[in-house]
Amino acid sequence: MSHTPAWARGVCSGLYAAGSRDVVYVPDNPLSQVLTELGDRYGDVRLVLATREEEAFGIAAGLYLGGRRPTVMLQSSGLGNSLNAITSLVLPYQIPMLIVVSMRGDAGEWNAAQVPMGRAVRAILDAIGVPHVTVTSGDAAADAVRLVATTAFGTRQTGACLLPRRVTTS
Amino acid sequence: MNRLDATRVVVDGAGDAPIVASLGHPAYDLYAAGDRPQNFYTWGSMGVASSIGLGLALAKPHARVFVIDGDGSLLMNLGSLATIGLLQPANLVLVVMDNEEYATTGGQATPTAQGADLAAAARAMRIDATTVFDEEQLRRTLNGARLAQRPHVVVAKVAESTPGTWPPFDCVFIKHRFMTAIGNPESAISTAK
Repeated sequence: MSHTPAWARGVCSGLYAAGSRDVVYVPDNPLSQVLTELGDRYGDVRLVLATREEEAFGIAAGLYLGGRRPTVMLQSSGLGNSLNAITSLVLPYQIPMLIVVSMRGDAGEWNAAQVPMGRAVRAILDAIGVPHVTVTSGDAAADAVRLVATTAFGTRQTGACLLPRRVTTS
Repeated sequence: MNRLDATRVVVDGAGDAPIVASLGHPAYDLYAAGDRPQNFYTWGSMGVASSIGLGLALAKPHARVFVIDGDGSLLMNLGSLATIGLLQPANLVLVVMDNEEYATTGGQATPTAQGADLAAAARAMRIDATTVFDEEQLRRTLNGARLAQRPHVVVAKVAESTPGTWPPFDCVFIKHRFMTAIGNPESAISTAK
C-alpha cells in the first residue's frame, strides 16, 4: 500500500500518460511527494532541479526544441519569477509544456506573504493567455493533468494545472 | 577582437551543431556571422539562453550544443551556472561574449567592467572555464571544448561590433526551422503518443 496521496500519484500518472519524461522543477513541500513518486516508480522520467523558476522554463524550452515533452513544476509564488520567460519565449515561439502549480495563498494558507500572489495566479494566467485547470480532488488529478498536457503538446499551447492546498494538504 | 569576429569563429567551429543566441546584439551578430537553420535566435527572455542550451544538451546528448550569451545576460541568471555544474552536460559549450556593457540598451557598464569574473564564477560552480582575448585563443579553446567530456564556459573578451542586420522576426518560423534542422521536426512531437 502506497503512502503517496492520490493527488500526487495522479500528477505522476497523468504527465506520464501524456508522454512527458522530463520534469524541471523548483522544490515545494507538497510537490516533494510527486518527486518521490516519480523517483521511485517512474525510472525513465528525468528530474531536473532548477535554481529559479525562470531558469526552469528556459531549460524546459530547450528540452522541447530537442524533441522532448517537458513538464515544469513550481509553487505559485514562483510564477512571478517566471513571467518574462513565459511571455517572451514560451508563448511567442509556441513552445508547449505542461505547468504544474502547487498553490500557496489559497484556502488553508497561514502565511500572509503567500496570499497576494496566490490570489493573483489565475488572473495572471488569464491575462497572458495560458489556459489553466484547477484540480478539484485527489482522484481528479490524473485526468486533469493528462488532459492539460495532451492539449498543450497537441496544440502547441502551454497549459497549467493548479493544485489547491485543499487538495495537496488534506 | 570584436563580437562579430568572435561570433564568426564560433559559427566556424560549430559545424552543423545547434547554436542558441541570447537576444539583442549577440543574436544579431550570429545572424550576420552566418544565418543557418541550426541557429536559434531569441527575441526576449533575457538571461535564459544558457538554460535553453542546457535543456537542448540534455535532450540531445549526442549533439554538441553551443550557446552565445552576453555578460549582462548571464549575470541575470547566474544560477544557471550552478545547474550546469550540477548536471555536467558533456556536450554543452557556453560562450559568453563579454563586452563589459549592456550594448543593446545603450552601453551601460556591467559589473565585468569593474572586474567581475564570469570564468571564475563558472569554475566556482565546477565548470571548466577559459577567458580568451583573441580569435586564435578562442579557436583553440573551442577545439578543446569540442573534444572534452565536460561542459565548458568560454568567456570571450570582445569589443562591441554595432551590428547592422537583424535575424527573422517570426519566432515560430525560427523554431520550426531550427527543430527540423536538428532532427526534431515538430510534427513528430505533437502527434506521437
